Amino acid sequence: MEGESIYEVDSEDGVGADIISTVEFNHTGELLATGDKGGRVVIFQREPESKNEPYNQGEYNVYSTFQSHEPEFDYLKSLEIEEKINKIKWLPQQNAAHSLLSTNDKTIKLWKVTERDKRPEGYNLKDEEGKLKDLSTVTSLQVPVLKPMDLMVEVTPRRIFANGHTYHVNSISVNSDCETYMSADDLRINLWHLAITDRSFNIVDIKPANMEDLTEVITASEFHPHHCNLFVYSSSKGSLRLCDMRASALCDKHSKLFEEPEDPSNRSFFSEIISSVSDVKFSHSGRYMLTRDYLTVKVWDLNMETKPIETYQVHDYLRSKLCSLYENDCIFDKFECAWNGSDSVIMTGAYNNFFRMFDRNTKRDVTLEASRESSKPRAILKPRRVCVGGKRRKDDISVDSLDFTKKILHTAWHPTENIIAIAATNNLYIFQDKVNSEMH
Amino acid sequence: FSRRRERAARGLGAGGAMEFRLEAHRIVSISLGKIYSARGQRGGLKLHKNLLVSLVLRSARRVYLGEPGGECALPPRPGPPPPPDCERLRRGCRPLASEAAARGRPECPAESPRKRSAAERDPAAGYPGKKPRRETEQPPPQEDMETGNVASLISIFGSGFSGLLGKERGAAEATEPGQVCCEQPVLRSLNPWSTAIVAF
Repeated sequence: MEGESIYEVDSEDGVGADIISTVEFNHTGELLATGDKGGRVVIFQREPESKNEPYNQGEYNVYSTFQSHEPEFDYLKSLEIEEKINKIKWLPQQNAAHSLLSTNDKTIKLWKVTERDKRPEGYNLKDEEGKLKDLSTVTSLQVPVLKPMDLMVEVTPRRIFANGHTYHVNSISVNSDCETYMSADDLRINLWHLAITDRSFNIVDIKPANMEDLTEVITASEFHPHHCNLFVYSSSKGSLRLCDMRASALCDKHSKLFEEPEDPSNRSFFSEIISSVSDVKFSHSGRYMLTRDYLTVKVWDLNMETKPIETYQVHDYLRSKLCSLYENDCIFDKFECAWNGSDSVIMTGAYNNFFRMFDRNTKRDVTLEASRESSKPRAILKPRRVCVGGKRRKDDISVDSLDFTKKILHTAWHPTENIIAIAATNNLYIFQDKVNSEMH
Repeated sequence: FSRRRERAARGLGAGGAMEFRLEAHRIVSISLGKIYSARGQRGGLKLHKNLLVSLVLRSARRVYLGEPGGECALPPRPGPPPPPDCERLRRGCRPLASEAAARGRPECPAESPRKRSAAERDPAAGYPGKKPRRETEQPPPQEDMETGNVASLISIFGSGFSGLLGKERGAAEATEPGQVCCEQPVLRSLNPWSTAIVAF
């Protein structure tokens, strides 16, 4: 993998407002959106490849920046609502404009991104600055002409889906029907129509009558990529529920329950926490699901509910450190996971700005680091290794020197090419595999 | 990272039982501190994190007080065979690999009615006490997150802490839960709950 571009989102105010909180490619990979803790969205666009400048081929540059959400205060409940962007999802492109959904803890917004590269000139009643002309000076009529102008990208809010959630929204997913989408909070999942903002349908509700009986919350959810009636949601207990909206209006009864029995030899006070699923993603084929819990990523076959078909250890050397990680809150970190375009490689982040890739076919894995030193343009990324005692090679890092404040929670993979976007705190890294650009 | 502490959390090392209980006490204190400091957090109470913390708190408390069900939090030790799966499920433990085949039985004899009622009603759903919900418009905006229940959770554990002061004597002695038999005059004068507050 080559280091390609590094973007640092500058913050004007407040520490941490520019921490990237979500990363998402659109369906062609031409656009890449990031959201941050300060409620801002930055969209990058890939430069078209041209023979004239071969070295600038396929670079991502800033396309548009806008403020998506602002902090709000709910006076009724005396609660501040954070402006942090939890998730961004692109809609499939249906005309010249691009559309995306962005959400914070409570409100989902639909944004339309349009380009303007021409403007009309030669009005009869207005002059160049827009001031009304003195009518006595108008002696002939002209037809206004469209003249080229510098490209201007406009982003406008088209819909605001508010008041749908009592609890914190953790995920949104656009249906393959391109008309509906769902939003999930800790206890409920709602189905919305993209054109209707004043109502939504509740399709999952796991809130117990008595909150003291609460044992499980929803942690992530996603629609199936091809079957518009199917969706999956994950829980804090490590289970996945596949639901069919054709079965009933309220999908509290799952069609399939995916759960792996606990390994008794690994039990500890923190077994529950580390089994909580932080992310779930369908494969592009729709046949598999990828889940991330604190120490592993797992591949599940939709046809087998009893256990995952593959389990990969992300950083098993942390298993003996769980008490300390509980104390410093790191055990609550929610890592995301991603498939490559051909579903042959999976990727997830870790600590010390490391991220991991697992090749499902060769069973080989690699640890790479997103850092400025190792990511100069066109530099080759060097595989890293964490040593856990035993022989220590040069450049190995020991477990105790890992920096737990440098965590890679959000990663994204281009839908068709070997291009990945890695969010490391307030920096965005984009890496390209120029040698193996095509999917194999 | 303290090696001794980490091994204690896994139940290894010499004097394992005593280290367990010390570790459990420490985890209880840390957990209470997290719950307490979560109240002032920007963005409101994070339900997911606080649920996980309260589950850890419950496990650690069970181990510390030597209550039945506390063993669920720990790796298995050689000794008496594990209890039947109904017993384990009643304690709120997740089914083990060996019991996976038995999972899904809707009825279990001699179960506490509160926890089993939903499972008897609908084995597939598995969520206790849930009221049926028709297809409807969005929930009323005035609905409360019911974070006040976290406060009641804290007070429940607060009253249970009076027994903790007397446990310094060691695991070998069986003391009645709730009995305060502290030998250090300083601690006797302090309310156990305010001790936890002062620490954080």
